[in-house]
Amino acid sequence: MDNELIMNTELHPPPEIAAHFEQPSCSSPMLNWPLMNSNLSQYSPPQDCFTWEKSTEQQQKQSIFDSALSSLVSSPTPSNSNFSGGVGGGDGFVIRELIGKLGNVGNSSATPMSSPPPMMNRTTPLTEFSGDPGFAERAARFSCFGSQSFNGRTNSSLPVNNNGKIVNSGKLTRVASTPALNGFVSPMVPAGKFSRKRKSMTKGKSKENPLPTASPAPSFTKTAEEKGGKRRRREDEKEDNTKAPEPPKDYIHVRARRGQATDSHSLAERVRREKIGERMKLLEDLVPGCNKVTGKALMLDEIINYVQSLQRQVEFLSMKLSSVNDTRLDFNVDALVSKDVMIPSSSNRLHEAGLQAESLSHHSYNNNSQLHTNVSSSNMMLQSPVNSLETSTLASSFTHLPTLTQFTDSISQYQMFSQEDLQSIVGMGVAHNPNHESQNMKIEL
Amino acid sequence: MASADKPINTDVPEKDVFTLHFLQSLSNLRRQNTFNSPEKTNDRVKKIKKAAYVSMARAAGGTNRLWSRALLRRAAKENSKVVRFPRRKKRVTCLRRRRSNRRDPVEEEEAERLRNLVPGGGGMETSKLMEETAHYIKCLSMQVKVMQCLVDGLAPK
Repeated sequence: MDNELIMNTELHPPPEIAAHFEQPSCSSPMLNWPLMNSNLSQYSPPQDCFTWEKSTEQQQKQSIFDSALSSLVSSPTPSNSNFSGGVGGGDGFVIRELIGKLGNVGNSSATPMSSPPPMMNRTTPLTEFSGDPGFAERAARFSCFGSQSFNGRTNSSLPVNNNGKIVNSGKLTRVASTPALNGFVSPMVPAGKFSRKRKSMTKGKSKENPLPTASPAPSFTKTAEEKGGKRRRREDEKEDNTKAPEPPKDYIHVRARRGQATDSHSLAERVRREKIGERMKLLEDLVPGCNKVTGKALMLDEIINYVQSLQRQVEFLSMKLSSVNDTRLDFNVDALVSKDVMIPSSSNRLHEAGLQAESLSHHSYNNNSQLHTNVSSSNMMLQSPVNSLETSTLASSFTHLPTLTQFTDSISQYQMFSQEDLQSIVGMGVAHNPNHESQNMKIEL
Repeated sequence: MASADKPINTDVPEKDVFTLHFLQSLSNLRRQNTFNSPEKTNDRVKKIKKAAYVSMARAAGGTNRLWSRALLRRAAKENSKVVRFPRRKKRVTCLRRRRSNRRDPVEEEEAERLRNLVPGGGGMETSKLMEETAHYIKCLSMQVKVMQCLVDGLAPK
């Protein structure tokens, strides 16, 4: 009687739940699970009876439940094949069956079974319950009947839950539906979390990359970006990840390219190789005749040959110069000093010892006035305006030497220079109009 | 993608800078009166050659370039002069040799040869070596031009 009452009250919720189940939306089952949990938890006391010592009433109840559960357990088995295939339809079907069975239990409650099943039978559903890992799996799959998107996720998360279920199988005996239903809830939650996690991870990884630029990373951030690169490749769509690295702070930030190794050594290797390739291109432009040759080794050969040839040329030319009549080299270099042209250098002491102190001071090219004083202190006996003019003309004659021919012309004139000659030449130059354009004419007097 | 460093700078000064430097050094040689004395030709050649290189190094940027610095240091050592270079902030000499297979053997062979040619190449990494080589080539070609002009000018046929 009491049992019947309990059964009656307990059986009311299932139709409601059945109604809920028939909703196709994925969110609603999730909401229903707690509802179902709370409802079905009421089943627990009767379920607990399985392990207790049975009174006659309990035996009756057990018998009813045994039959119901046995039918329950047995019924999904033929539909197991449906599980592996489609999910939504199959699951809905199974759940409707379940509800049907539960309804049958309620129906049969009024008609207690005359013959209580043997004690052995009592254990069988338990064993079936506990020993049926497939049930656990199916129970897990029930959780995803509404949302197909969870399929992949729960498939991966199933083993975990399966193990959990099997561990809980001991408890399954006492609380038949609730652990199963708990199992229903649990796979969904990690699945949901997992999906959320994955989404957040991709977002996180995408955010991770701007972060290193913001934060002055003291360590080599390549590995973090490698992982980010990997994950992005797997989860994001195909995009060519040859992004330019972020502006280098202490270290050079590199992104791993798609389909390439991402350990730090190979990344560094690649950076280095690309650097070298860059510079090879530079050299290619410099070295004549490198266009036909391709490949690093051959290019390097060419470059080496070119450098050697240049050095040999220098030697040859210096030999020639040494054989030149050296009086011609005696011209006053002080006059050629121009503050625009000369680059201040710090290695003046490397000059030959013959440098005079004044000429040393000539190398400080900061002031025009200083230049003038230096020039005047030289052995040139020229008036100061002429000095300035002369230096400027001569200097500009050097600065305005766009072509070789002009240069050689001016040089050929210089060979006449001694200190006295310079005076005369400059005098002649002053007589003419010291224009910049007429430099060469002036000098070629 | 490789890191895009600041663009590689391989500018060399104009020709006149080289000329000026070279002429200066030549005039200094002249002042030493070495030419007038009956020295062996080889010595004179060597002196001129050295003067050429030194002036080139100075014209090309003084101590801003590794190769020029090495060249000048070498020259100073020969003359047993003490050379002081402005101290750079970065330690150029430390080379991190990572234990990875970064070295392409064929390429490194060539790089070795290049290192022997370019002054100061021994202490450089390959990428830096290439930079220096580029600049060195530019300066060398400029110097050759200058000297050619001088020779042509001073010894007209």
